[in-house]
Amino acid sequence: MRRVYVVVQALLVAALVVQFYLAAVGAFDRPHTDDSFALHSENGMLVIPALIVLATLAAALARAPGRLIALTIAPLGLLVVQVLIIVLGNAVAGGDQDPTGPAALAILGLHAVNGMLMIGAAATVLRRARSLPAKTDRVDRAPTPVA
Amino acid sequence: MSTATLVTLDLAAALVAAALWASAGALTVRGRSRLAVGLAAGAAVATSGRVATAVALAGRGWWFAQEKLTIGVPLLLVAVVAVALTIRRGGTAAATAMLTAGYAAAVGLALTLLAGYPSGWGVGLVCAAVVGAAALVTRRALAPAPAPGTLRTGVAAVLAVGLAGGALSVALPGAPTDSGGGVADAAPPGGRTVSVDELRGPDTPDPGGAVRRYTLTARRASVTLSSGRTVAAWAFDGRVPGPPLTATVGDLVEITLRNADIGQGVTLHWHGYDVPAVDDGAPGVTQDPVPPGGSYVYRFRAEQAGTYWYHTHQVSDQGVRMGLYGTLVVSPRVPSTVESVDLALPVHTLDGAVILGDRDTAEERRVAPGTPVRLRLVNTDSGPHRFALAGVPYRLAAVDGTDLNRPGELTEATLRLAAGGRYDLAFTMPAGAVALVVDGTAGAGLRLAPDGVPFARTGPEVAGWPEVDLIAYGAPAATPFGSGSRFDRRFTLVLDRGLAVVDRLPAYAYTVDGKAFPSVPTQVVRAGDLVAMTVVNRGFATHPWHLHGHHVLVLSRDGRPAGGSPLWMDTFDVRPGEVWVVAFRADNPGVWMNHCHNLSHAGQGMALHLEYAGVTTPFHGGHGAG
Repeated sequence: MRRVYVVVQALLVAALVVQFYLAAVGAFDRPHTDDSFALHSENGMLVIPALIVLATLAAALARAPGRLIALTIAPLGLLVVQVLIIVLGNAVAGGDQDPTGPAALAILGLHAVNGMLMIGAAATVLRRARSLPAKTDRVDRAPTPVA
Repeated sequence: MSTATLVTLDLAAALVAAALWASAGALTVRGRSRLAVGLAAGAAVATSGRVATAVALAGRGWWFAQEKLTIGVPLLLVAVVAVALTIRRGGTAAATAMLTAGYAAAVGLALTLLAGYPSGWGVGLVCAAVVGAAALVTRRALAPAPAPGTLRTGVAAVLAVGLAGGALSVALPGAPTDSGGGVADAAPPGGRTVSVDELRGPDTPDPGGAVRRYTLTARRASVTLSSGRTVAAWAFDGRVPGPPLTATVGDLVEITLRNADIGQGVTLHWHGYDVPAVDDGAPGVTQDPVPPGGSYVYRFRAEQAGTYWYHTHQVSDQGVRMGLYGTLVVSPRVPSTVESVDLALPVHTLDGAVILGDRDTAEERRVAPGTPVRLRLVNTDSGPHRFALAGVPYRLAAVDGTDLNRPGELTEATLRLAAGGRYDLAFTMPAGAVALVVDGTAGAGLRLAPDGVPFARTGPEVAGWPEVDLIAYGAPAATPFGSGSRFDRRFTLVLDRGLAVVDRLPAYAYTVDGKAFPSVPTQVVRAGDLVAMTVVNRGFATHPWHLHGHHVLVLSRDGRPAGGSPLWMDTFDVRPGEVWVVAFRADNPGVWMNHCHNLSHAGQGMALHLEYAGVTTPFHGGHGAG
């Protein structure tokens, strides 16, 4: 199960890197349309959350320490923050189609910073998952001695 | 507080609740129970916040709150009760309960963002199973040796609930049609059905009218803009916009559409013109798309005066964006005033350049003082544009082709024009310079000045002018029906984003009632029905709503009754959190598209059909919306 955990977590890190790539694709797409970020939004709202949930499940089944499990699911919270940054920025601008003033842009720019936090968290998890003792789950399946 | 703000606050409260409950649980695991209790108190406050925002949203309309109040909040409250029962004991039980409250808050958040309205039993059971499974896994992780029977019962219960929810979601597909609460029977009186391609209009002009024949050929073209920039486009007759079409009320308009080399095919949709069904140009509904080398003849009598436009409806997001559009202006038979300067000015974004008419730089024209001027603004893009007219008081004479009743004089105002919509601006040329500014920029625009007067260099300084609210503009007048009328059918469309199947693939789609085209139930009406349609925007994007074949009368917005001139529109911007109630008489039998005119949204699911009982279509295609 530890191997599954590592593989899923590695896929998550890859999906997050792809997400940055797709953000740049959207930003440089000309002419710029609502479709420019279609792949970015599919990857962000479908693939990434699914991988986070799978990784967390794998972490729990691999009997990873509680703190690591919590760190594994942390990007999901940051993902919601990603959505909220957009929602809040658009609300400050007056709507998604209204011109962005300095205040709205100041908020919307955080989307990139928070995205980096997500990658950082996911990469930390991957490193710790790889250094988990390989045989954890076999050992844990043995009856736990009662204190 | 605006509904959109409440929606944002609600999400924030759910997020904070999830984070604080999870942190409180984690601290309890690590034995730092005092800090944990503090965080739990904060989490309880955030939880109350979410309950409060959900209740407040229910006050704005059940659609905004349903999944929160029937699934998300109850799940969260059950977990919070578990926290209350265990917090004194502390230890594993309290930690599990707090973490579970965190999961419940997070699942409630995901539910709002991914499923939305309506969320039924199936979705609710799946959510309960997810929270239950997470609770069990947590319990197992924290206390490795619980009584085996308890765990087994728990796992069985979670599996049963999850499977039941999954089965319910799959086994209960939505009804294929929505009768709007009217007579459910879709069969026409007498049982006879008619095909859309039989629903033709007259093929002669009114007495005294003429026959106007046009041929439009769609082809790939290279277009040079006024700035000198050359753009690859898809164009009618090699021009963007396509040739302006004009007619007089009573004329018969006959347009032959040819497709030279647009591989995806083309059609012509007469936006805002309530043509007979067969001439509507909706591929897969009223005709097949015209392939390269093919042609199709549209024929309709010009019966509405005003400003309209035409565009391809096949793969319309790409086709219109690339340039397959033009204006259609119909003059009244007996004109009330003849404006000697009468300009049709479609605004479009072509390969990133905003163009007004066919120019991406300001157009300068000499106009003598005292000249009556009419500017017909057409938004052919997928998002709204903002216009400001500087240097002269003016009137917004017509909206979506229909004259307003006693429109008031406007100065220093911003006119926000929905995607697909039209505004006619009328004024008398003053002695000074006049500037029409688009989106507060000095780029594409119109500059008018009498001889010898320098043209205005107006630009961003107009950007802060206040927006005109059409719902209170002009003077009331009698309408054939209104809020007090007895409606034969009432439809509600709830617009959002969510998980849905688009083009056979799961996607984060633009949805109507939680479904994406073609799974959105078809609205069925009978000829002659008076129909009320409520359009609710639960999401975070603006949706310009467009019903083919009919003009709708705006009854209210966010509960505020329309108080100005009667507003007959064919495309109205439903902004985030807004609720529009509009009405129309079902007087144009056919099968009609009813969709978001942000064509990218339509292509990602935000579309449906409105069908008259007994009308069938022989055409089948997946491109009706896109």
